[in-house]
Amino acid sequence: MFLINGLVALLASNLILSQALGTSTLFIAAGSKKNLIGTATVITIFTTLGSASAYLINQIFGEKYSDFTLLFYTLAVGILYIAILIVFYLINKNAFEKTKKYIHISAFNCAVMGTLFTISGNEAVSAEKYTFIDYLSCGFEAGIGFIIAALILTAAFRKLNSSKVPTSFRGFPAMLVYLGIISMAVYSLK
Amino acid sequence: MNNPKNTLTSGLLSDNTVLSACMVISPVIICGDTLRNSLALIYAFTLITFFSVFISSFVPKKLPYTIKIIIYAIISSLLYVPIKLLAEQIYPESISRVGIYYPLLAVNSLIVYQTEAKFYRMKKFEMTGSLIFYILGFDVVMLITGFLRELLAYGTINSRMVDMNIVIKGLSHPFGGFIFLGLLCGIYRKVRIVAENSKKNSEEESHVSY
Repeated sequence: MFLINGLVALLASNLILSQALGTSTLFIAAGSKKNLIGTATVITIFTTLGSASAYLINQIFGEKYSDFTLLFYTLAVGILYIAILIVFYLINKNAFEKTKKYIHISAFNCAVMGTLFTISGNEAVSAEKYTFIDYLSCGFEAGIGFIIAALILTAAFRKLNSSKVPTSFRGFPAMLVYLGIISMAVYSLK
Repeated sequence: MNNPKNTLTSGLLSDNTVLSACMVISPVIICGDTLRNSLALIYAFTLITFFSVFISSFVPKKLPYTIKIIIYAIISSLLYVPIKLLAEQIYPESISRVGIYYPLLAVNSLIVYQTEAKFYRMKKFEMTGSLIFYILGFDVVMLITGFLRELLAYGTINSRMVDMNIVIKGLSHPFGGFIFLGLLCGIYRKVRIVAENSKKNSEEESHVSY
């Protein structure tokens, strides 16, 4: 029961299905299992570490510099982008060549930046102040949400791209309608 | 051979930013439920994207790819500040409704990724023309989406009541946005297929007559 409740909560707070954040990246990720694993892993790293950076930025600058929040988040994600590239390069140079495309796709997109803004926004309307751990766990949850949404799309990817679907609706339009139906189901969970 | 005119205007029709290239779709799905929201987004997207891409085109091409991407994102984030402050005066209601999607416009794929893949491979004048059409491509889709979703979901046009017997409330929700954009995209493709077929037929007929 605990697991089901957790899954329902993850689906209900899913940033793709409830806020359409990172939909374009999702379409790229769902194309193949290799892409899915690579992109989803890197996006989860970005959302988790990015959220930790967002916490620090919010603590340091607060409401006073709220107009510059985007700039601070961009700088933080930019630093993370370089750091992750360096870490992957140092771990394994051969693997780096294969994985760097996922890092490039994942750095600046709505899934990552949207997560940072959503967590800060949720904290602003919440009665309690979020801790560093809250930010980290929310960022990680968003990454897991991306993986779940990608798995849901991957399950139907071939059928939505098959010749049985009319040419004009094959691929992208059919995937959007499919995500819409899943999103409707998720909406009813709230 | 590619028709240069087609390449220049392709962002509007044949390679539409939203319907064909599948970029910047989150704001269309979530915020494109009223005409006012759409106008607020069009204003920000047009200004941020145009000036960001144009200013970023002066960034040295010799720099590593990652550094260039970060610089492009920083330039657009800086431009976002005055554009947002101005938007708060012009569209005060819409800004709060659009919420996090407003800053997200500044890190859209057209600025961050398409610059390297497309725009900076062109000459400055050609790039500017093409960029305008890519921006117009987004603007037109956003406008159509905002107009139709507001009409069908709320029975209003620009917040003015219209005599509508049936309203589809679901279209104002994110799932309605997904489904509406999927249908719009399908219709767009169908129109393109029909137009291409009729063009081919007319060309074949002209060849036969010669």
